Amino acid sequence: MRPEDLAIDYHAILPELITTGAALAIMLIDVMARKAARRVAAVAAIAGLLLSGGAVISLWGKDEISFAGMIVTDELRLFFALIFLVVTLLTVLISINWIESEALPAGEYFALLMFATTGMLFMAAANDLVMVFLGLEITSIATYVLCGYRRNDLRSNESAVKYFILGSFSTAFLLYGIALVYGASYNPGAAPSATTNLELLRERIAAGQVFSKEMLFAGAAMMMVGFGFKVASAPFHIWSPDVYQGAPTSITAFLSTGSKAAAFAAFARVFIFTFTATSVTSMTKGIMPALQSAWTDALVVMAVLTMTIGNLAAIVQENVKRMLAYSSIAHAGYTLMGMVAGDWRAVAFYLLSYVVINIGAFAVVEVVARQGDQRTELKDYSGIGFRSLGLASALSLFLLSLAGLPLTAGFVGKFLVFKSAWAAGFHVLVIIAVINSAVSWYYYLRVIVVMFFREPSAGYTAPAVARPLAAALTLTVLATFYLGVIPDRVLKTLENARDRIVARFP
Amino acid sequence: MQSYVLTILISIPIAGSLAVFILGRGSVARDESLRWTALISSIVTFAVSLLLPLGFQSRPSLQFETNAPWINAFELGIRYHVGIDGLSLWLVVLTTFLVPLALLSSWNSITFRLREFLISILVLETGMIGVFIAMDMFLFYLFWEVMLVPMYFLIGVWGGERRIYAAVKFVIYTVLGSLLMLAGIIALYYLHGEATRVYTFDIPTIMANAGRISPEAQNWLFWGFALAFLIKVPLFPFHTWLPDAHVEAPTAGSVILAGVLLKMGTYGLMRFNLPIFPDASREFAPLLAALAVVGIIYGALVAMVQPDLKKLVAYSSVSHLGFVVLGIFSFTEQGMQGALYQMLNHGVSTGALFIIVGMIYDRRHTRMIAEFGGLASVMPVYSALFLIVTLSSIALPLMNGFVGEFLVLVGTFTSTSLPYARTFAVLAALGMILSAVYMLWMYQRVVFGEVRNPENRTLKDLNGRERLVLAPIVALVLFMGVYPSLFLSRSGAAIKAISKSMSEPAVARSQVKND
Repeated sequence: MRPEDLAIDYHAILPELITTGAALAIMLIDVMARKAARRVAAVAAIAGLLLSGGAVISLWGKDEISFAGMIVTDELRLFFALIFLVVTLLTVLISINWIESEALPAGEYFALLMFATTGMLFMAAANDLVMVFLGLEITSIATYVLCGYRRNDLRSNESAVKYFILGSFSTAFLLYGIALVYGASYNPGAAPSATTNLELLRERIAAGQVFSKEMLFAGAAMMMVGFGFKVASAPFHIWSPDVYQGAPTSITAFLSTGSKAAAFAAFARVFIFTFTATSVTSMTKGIMPALQSAWTDALVVMAVLTMTIGNLAAIVQENVKRMLAYSSIAHAGYTLMGMVAGDWRAVAFYLLSYVVINIGAFAVVEVVARQGDQRTELKDYSGIGFRSLGLASALSLFLLSLAGLPLTAGFVGKFLVFKSAWAAGFHVLVIIAVINSAVSWYYYLRVIVVMFFREPSAGYTAPAVARPLAAALTLTVLATFYLGVIPDRVLKTLENARDRIVARFP
Repeated sequence: MQSYVLTILISIPIAGSLAVFILGRGSVARDESLRWTALISSIVTFAVSLLLPLGFQSRPSLQFETNAPWINAFELGIRYHVGIDGLSLWLVVLTTFLVPLALLSSWNSITFRLREFLISILVLETGMIGVFIAMDMFLFYLFWEVMLVPMYFLIGVWGGERRIYAAVKFVIYTVLGSLLMLAGIIALYYLHGEATRVYTFDIPTIMANAGRISPEAQNWLFWGFALAFLIKVPLFPFHTWLPDAHVEAPTAGSVILAGVLLKMGTYGLMRFNLPIFPDASREFAPLLAALAVVGIIYGALVAMVQPDLKKLVAYSSVSHLGFVVLGIFSFTEQGMQGALYQMLNHGVSTGALFIIVGMIYDRRHTRMIAEFGGLASVMPVYSALFLIVTLSSIALPLMNGFVGEFLVLVGTFTSTSLPYARTFAVLAALGMILSAVYMLWMYQRVVFGEVRNPENRTLKDLNGRERLVLAPIVALVLFMGVYPSLFLSRSGAAIKAISKSMSEPAVARSQVKND
């Protein structure tokens, strides 16, 4: 391969370059200016995120492939990139004062966050299974460390170890799946003879030029297990409650939103964009329609299990972080409905609304928990409603939005995935999801009951809300209403996004 | 032509709640000024709502419409479409009429977190009006659900001892029903879209093309919507949340719950189920009418043995709402007019009953019938007003209740589209007798006889504020009893249209459309 075949295009990876640069800069700053480092590191992180966001916007409207088919620039990538940047920005805002109060090293923390973000950005930009894997690993390694960031706390250690072991395990599944798919794509007459490139894979599967159908199916199934782990969907969800509960709250917020959204971006790229029959291929009976119906059926089962297990388990939780972990599992289930329907736009909007409200909820949990993550049990929330009216009202709003209250972001997201699932003919799935949503009201309301309807527990004093965290809360509350009341603009952006499948294979 | 009256109407309570929020910050303003702010904004809402019957013309079409695009992406076609017809006109006015009275009735009884209480009531008012004026299914669902939140807080924060149980039960029941309705709304959107190539949530548009929905689909969708409404009504056997919610809610909450919230269920049946799924409505009418009759008699029998005044009134609601459902599924013009009138009556009378119970509860902090007796001698004005409301509730002629129940019974008895209509009418009439029994027996035990309980000797009769609360209600009870045509003439055209569409077979209708 000659160098010009690589199609090196630095503009195409500018967002990732900026976040990497910011991460490196933060580490340097940390070494050189120890004392002022915390604030400076945070500011550098925010600056990097904003610049990266600018770079994403500068790429808008492009539809191209660069780096020898490794990197793709399209609306799916860019929309998800913005979601990740929003997640990290909010995480940074809710971390600044927490890092100070815990007296933890700030430089490494923000640098790791930026590296994790870089990995997530690559996952959305990947046009090659190897790239998906690389992005996933960059994110995972950074988050393994972040989970155990409160070194002296056993729960944090447990969280990190569990996440590391199960995360590696699931990555192995993904990698094995990739290897099998690579093998299945073997075609001696073509160049290259076997491939991990998604576009080429698509063409070969659609044309029926695969070495072994069984190998392809097994590979796809393995990859589904791998992604299933990463998005915390049942039956691969077992790790998430322990990890979420033990990790520092700001990292739980990051994991339950950012990593999940990134996994969904790659999931959608591989399954909706690659393993899906278009109008052309679906006319001929072949491997692609069989593959598509197989993964769709499996995902339907996964979606039902995920939302049902998540919701039922959330009901009995006495710890708010753990309850939100199960709620997050349930939401992965609703998101999977969008995957089942093959509608990445619904998935993207759902995740956008979900990340905003979920980080908002965790922000409040973090403030209430105080130093050392002490007060996270449900009983610690007794009667705080009227003592800290602002915080409690914000948390109530986020919880109701997670439950799907109209006029908030959560409702519009749910409405869209329900609608696409219905349109795709999965009527029973929608009914199950609807009943699940009704169940979920119970545990979300439970927190509100405890906060507002019970007597205050002794010794509760309203915690001080630091300015960056207040900013994060304000942003999330406004976004919750913006996406709930006037979502038209964001929806229009998604609607106008070109579909690569249709564009490439008319 | 766009009219902004309705938009202004739903904005006033919101503006009022914002004013209360700002005034109540810190403790700058005294409680009194917060109460006045809330009361005045609700009275202004009432005054503005009176423009509606004044400018209303007796035709079946929507009036005071505003129709603007809201969410267009993905062909969603969601619109901000509000308007009223004869069906919703009086329900809007009922809502705005009851809210100031509810606020006045709890003038002194709420001291804890007054600001949040007032905000909840005002937000609730916006939600309730919104449900009656929304002409887009998405918008309707939005108001329907958002309304739950303030009601949840009203019961949960300011309620009685078992308030948490009652509040959660109320929300879970309602949400289960309404989420199934959401699935129904999505399904209807696609069915209508596939049939007409127009993807919309607009209620009048869908209603106009109702004939093109296949009977099988109608049967499913009918229940998707009906469950949400029947839980809200509540029709037997979905009624179990109601006594809990009523008993635990504060007076203002009970008044609004009984007066307006329950009407949303029956309103929904008349707005959605009958016009959009006429075939399914006809098919399931005997079942629903039977449940309604069971509810009428069951509610009355259970009410009879209640030791708690509020529970008694709550179960009487189950009974009274049974009449409304029966009237609706008689499909006759009289029956449906009666049902609508009965909705208004129940709102006024039962709202008043809850206020009346609240008044003695404020004095004695008990609602047990056995604690009272002989109130006539210590509280004469109270007893007299109580009597009028009791008689209205048992449908004495010249009272409002009579007109409604009579129309329902006549309509049911003469119905040709409802099988066993006569049996249903006769059994329902039995329920009327039972209601006289439990109401009069209750009144007798509370008001007549000797004052046995020494604590009751010193009770004060109604003060000026309390008389001011009950006076408009009593006046309205009598007025509605002698001059129903003021109300019925305005609702007539809309009801006639629904009734007419029910009496034609669907095939004929869709053929007319296709010609």
